[in-house]
Amino acid sequence: MLTLLNGWRKGFSHGLHPPEHKELTADKAVIRLPFPDVVYVPLSQHTGAPATAIVRPGQEVVRGEPIATSAGFVSVPMHAPITGRVREIADIPTPRGQLVPSVIIEGYPSADQAILYGAPQDIDAMTPDELIAAVQETGVVGLGGAAFPTHVKLKPPEGKSVDTIIVNGCECEPYLTTDHRLMVEQPEAVLKGLAVIRKALDAERAIIGIEANKAEAAEALNKVIQAADRVEVCVVETKYPQGAEKMLIKSLLNREVPAGGLPADVGAAVFNVATLAQIGELLPKNQGLIERIITVTGDGIEKPGNYLVALGSPIRHVLDYVGLKKGKSRVIFGGPMMGATIASWDTPITKGVSGILVLSRGEEESAAARPCIKCGACLQACPIHLNPCFLGQLARVREYERMVDSFHLMDCFECGCCTYVCPANIPLVQQFRVSKQIIREQKAAAS
Amino acid sequence: MKFLRKLHDKAEPLFHKGGKLERLYPLYEAHDTLAFTPGEVTHGASHVRDALDLKRMMVTVVFALVPCILVAMYNTGFQANAALAEGMSADGIRGWIIDVIGIGYSAANPLACLFHGALYYFPVLLVTFVAGGLIEVLFAVVRRHEINEGFLVTGMLFPLILPPAIPLWQVGLAIMFGTLVGKEIFGGTGMNIFNPALTARAFLFFAYPAQISGEKVWTAVTAANQVDGFSGATALGSIAGVADPSAADAWKNALMGMDITWLDAFLGKIPGSMGETSALACLLGAVLLIITGVGSWRVILGGVLGSFVVTLLFNAVGSETNALMNVPFQWQMVLGGWAFGLVFMATDPVSSAYTNRGRLIYGFFIGVFAILIRVVNPAFPEGMMLAILFMNMFAPLINSMAIRSNIKRRLAKNEAV
Repeated sequence: MLTLLNGWRKGFSHGLHPPEHKELTADKAVIRLPFPDVVYVPLSQHTGAPATAIVRPGQEVVRGEPIATSAGFVSVPMHAPITGRVREIADIPTPRGQLVPSVIIEGYPSADQAILYGAPQDIDAMTPDELIAAVQETGVVGLGGAAFPTHVKLKPPEGKSVDTIIVNGCECEPYLTTDHRLMVEQPEAVLKGLAVIRKALDAERAIIGIEANKAEAAEALNKVIQAADRVEVCVVETKYPQGAEKMLIKSLLNREVPAGGLPADVGAAVFNVATLAQIGELLPKNQGLIERIITVTGDGIEKPGNYLVALGSPIRHVLDYVGLKKGKSRVIFGGPMMGATIASWDTPITKGVSGILVLSRGEEESAAARPCIKCGACLQACPIHLNPCFLGQLARVREYERMVDSFHLMDCFECGCCTYVCPANIPLVQQFRVSKQIIREQKAAAS
Repeated sequence: MKFLRKLHDKAEPLFHKGGKLERLYPLYEAHDTLAFTPGEVTHGASHVRDALDLKRMMVTVVFALVPCILVAMYNTGFQANAALAEGMSADGIRGWIIDVIGIGYSAANPLACLFHGALYYFPVLLVTFVAGGLIEVLFAVVRRHEINEGFLVTGMLFPLILPPAIPLWQVGLAIMFGTLVGKEIFGGTGMNIFNPALTARAFLFFAYPAQISGEKVWTAVTAANQVDGFSGATALGSIAGVADPSAADAWKNALMGMDITWLDAFLGKIPGSMGETSALACLLGAVLLIITGVGSWRVILGGVLGSFVVTLLFNAVGSETNALMNVPFQWQMVLGGWAFGLVFMATDPVSSAYTNRGRLIYGFFIGVFAILIRVVNPAFPEGMMLAILFMNMFAPLINSMAIRSNIKRRLAKNEAV
């Protein structure tokens, strides 16, 4: 009853509580994986314009060396994840599914992998604009999964200002524990990154939102937070999709981002904890983003855990190390709710990949789609109060424009709640993804 | 089991594209899902799923119906046995079976009642599934989709809302009409506007009123074999037709004339359609539906509120010519098809509203119209069926209004901030 009352007062409505399965890896400290023999660095692993390669086949690169520069403001540079020689620049399948030109680097097995690039810089002396440029140089993007260039968020649109920075430590996807381990093991890095962001945005408030199932992480952060940091840690209900930025803003600030709007419209900016930790680590040294923590888990894995991997490592390399159990299984990039199955064993780990999930058949078994019986379960699950039931029917008859104009399709952020609850197993979220893509293509063709 | 599986697998190629029996693939598929677990897996997000699927929902509804089915059989037998004159036996093959088994016609013996009732219930059930199933399979084959679980529920519900003495050919005709016009012409499961079982009953009601209304049909005993002075009218029917409606407590006199106490009506020992007489059985079903989340508590609550308000209103106004106006709420809810309709028919997800607020409103108006039709319209003493069918029509409108008002409310709230 008490939780019910709390829910009434605070938090977003709808959403759901899928089984968490975080116990598989929640207490496993982060371990560094060996460097792979070859890495594939896609030039587009972020939202925005692809980076421009500045290396040629045959060229030797050192770990941390820039290998591509940003093409415009909404774009980030790439850095070499390992020391070696560029084999070629060729199309490689990415976790998002499409083929993308990528820099392929063959590692030198005996290289010491020291980072020779970057020089210390005094971030305290930098102006906000200089900070934004410096953040762009690090190549950091939203590491929670969206892979939106972080520096872009530091420059709110004309006429809007950010009064509150929200640090997203929710990690609401089942199975994943990278943010959890990061907050437990490197809380200082998160705070360091937060200080930079705060200076750039000139925000007065900062809140770290953590789901209730990660009390350990909240404790670790509270231990290192000083009064001078002016940061509060706020524990929110464990509920999917609490970690979606619009949901978290509603939960923490009780502000609702308008349809089609941005967090800046309600004076908020949301950053993932891992993103901040990387900024906190890299910015003072002026280095580039070359590795990240991922959770490798699921019942098809021999050694589930949290691993620090070089970006661009092929999934084959990671799974060889953690051991794949025998039998049929499904390999998913990301969590079970929003993740996508892999297209190839050579698909590389990119900046937006937060985990690899290997499920044996039983866990994801389900029947084919049946007719919709209008039970309304999806309406009661959709965190942004759309009508997935009707949208799904419109998608089937390809009324894409009506989906956008009358039923706000573009506000869907594809959390998958509707698909999770649908008793008829209708692949609603896939239908919406495809519809959105078609709409975007139509718009692009029209303009 | 292994043998069956082998046989099943062996037959599989016949039903695939190019196979001899390709057109009958839906039949093969239905057997496959019914007998063995389907082997398909998800091909995209989300990779985990809630455990509640359509099949489980439908099976839950059937489980919730079990008390009603038991009471249906018992009460049908009880009413028949009570009406049977001393030394008489049931007609035709039923009498023969009962004589062979030797269970007798004692109204005091629950087993005898159950058995006698079962002889009426099961033929109706069988005809329903055969006739309705035929249409269902026909459409599945022609449309090349799978046979859906939906008909299972429709087929279980339909016999329960029929009088026991209904001719079997009418049962078959009605359920075919209900499946065809109530469901298939709209596009099959999930696309229908009206509840198919109620559509079928409405068809009977307007096409063959003699067999589904009046006094003769509620007891499964032919007039020749009845005890002297047996009436057989339903409680609502006798209140509507009470001799002196201007008398104080005319409705009470009518019920007393039938020897019905409130407890009888609550337990279901009154004449009526087979499965709808027992409010207790419906209550048990409602509890299961609400706990499992399969039936919407909002619809049920809305219906109770709606009926309550209108009944209070009628009681306050009162009437000298219409005894039904003075019937209080606790009687309204145990008589006729009110409880059964509200629990099992109004909550049908396909034809009801699917927004939370919409469900409350939808249920409320079903409650209002059920009592309104029951009391004010002397031609239709039972209003639940018509009320639900009427509101089925408005469910999409209610949804649309609920969603629009939600958007408006949220816009207003955010502008205020």
